[in-house]
Amino acid sequence: MNGIHDVGGKHGFGPVLVEQNEPYFHEEWEGRMLSMMIACFAAGIYNVDQFRHPIEKMDPRHYLMSSYYEKWLCTVEQNCIDAGIVTRAEVDARHAQLMEGKAA
Amino acid sequence: MTTDNHSHANVLIPEVGLRVKALESLLAEKKAIDPAALDLIIETFETQMGPKNGAKVVAKAWTDPKYRSWLLEDGTAAIKSLGYIGVQGENMVALENTPTVHNVVVCTLCSCYPWPTLGLPPIWFKSAPYRARVVIEPRSVLKEFGLDVPDDVEVRVWDSTAELRYLVLPMRPSGTENLTEQELAALVTRDSMIGTGVAQSPSH
Amino acid sequence: MNMLTTDMVPTVLATGDPARVDVEVAPKFKAGDTVTVVNLNQVAHNRLPAYIRGKVGTVTFDHGVFVFPDTSAHRQGPKPQHVYTVVFTAHELWGDAGHPRDRMYVDAWDDYLESAG
Repeated sequence: MNGIHDVGGKHGFGPVLVEQNEPYFHEEWEGRMLSMMIACFAAGIYNVDQFRHPIEKMDPRHYLMSSYYEKWLCTVEQNCIDAGIVTRAEVDARHAQLMEGKAA
Repeated sequence: MTTDNHSHANVLIPEVGLRVKALESLLAEKKAIDPAALDLIIETFETQMGPKNGAKVVAKAWTDPKYRSWLLEDGTAAIKSLGYIGVQGENMVALENTPTVHNVVVCTLCSCYPWPTLGLPPIWFKSAPYRARVVIEPRSVLKEFGLDVPDDVEVRVWDSTAELRYLVLPMRPSGTENLTEQELAALVTRDSMIGTGVAQSPSH
Repeated sequence: MNMLTTDMVPTVLATGDPARVDVEVAPKFKAGDTVTVVNLNQVAHNRLPAYIRGKVGTVTFDHGVFVFPDTSAHRQGPKPQHVYTVVFTAHELWGDAGHPRDRMYVDAWDDYLESAG
């Protein structure tokens, strides 16, 4: 698809910003996301192409603003929903519950 | 046309780390994932995957002409012999930098990167500016990385759109004739194997 | 579903998803062939970046037979076919904005290429 992901040759993104001494993971959840992505792949929930496609279908604004691990969350969640393992409502509810727990 | 009220904040997933946790806990309850396996994957990445692996490949190629030929001829087999083939580095191609050719690697469509040899990619490699610009203006991008490529040197940009993963074999720095393979590996930076840098000289 | 357990982790990380398939498929092209990239604008998944569509390049290497992403992403089978590296001059892709010496190497499946010879 002619998605926002296809950025090769586009102007206007500005300089390449390099973070010195970049850590392997900036936050703990990034490592969980990486490993969940591999575990779900190994479980046969998606192949590499099924993994990539939902990222291309993200809202272009969300795509450009989000980190790569956030994009991975979007596609792993979508693939797990498509495979009938979880529903969006279940993820929304658990997410809300955890946010409430944190706020409390 | 409706007014776009989206602020940056509400385009992103709120408390994204908690949504990751929510998904992980649900998948674990449904026996789709085993959190202990996730722990082990993270540990493996943190302890066994990273540019030090690629550096060993490069140092070996610098010191062993037979290995160098093999690496350039069949990157997958030559890298496999050192144990660095695996997820997101299943099919490897080595690209040789010379005094007349400078190679640089990108993935414009996502962020494909050879995990077993280089580890996980830095943020800039995954960023839109790098992916957008390095194919159309490689020389100015390389200049931002401190590499001034002379006009008579050919720049080759490799866009890993398929399932081949690329590793740049940087030029061996001068003044390193007496160094051991291990000492040479210490000069091989991550960026020199992406092509946005060169190997360090021993005086560094 | 085959849940990944700790004992399987080393094998999974060492194996990955090779995407290379062991079937005999005749290649449409060989190294040295001049090719035109198809002007693909499908909504379905593909791995054909816009900046090479319609451009003319030269096949430099045949990497063998791989799963085809356009069908694989939509559970329509692997449609195995050859993947090549195709080289383009910077001038072909970017006109006068391209440096005369520079080259872009892009990997492309058989279905993305037509003979320009």
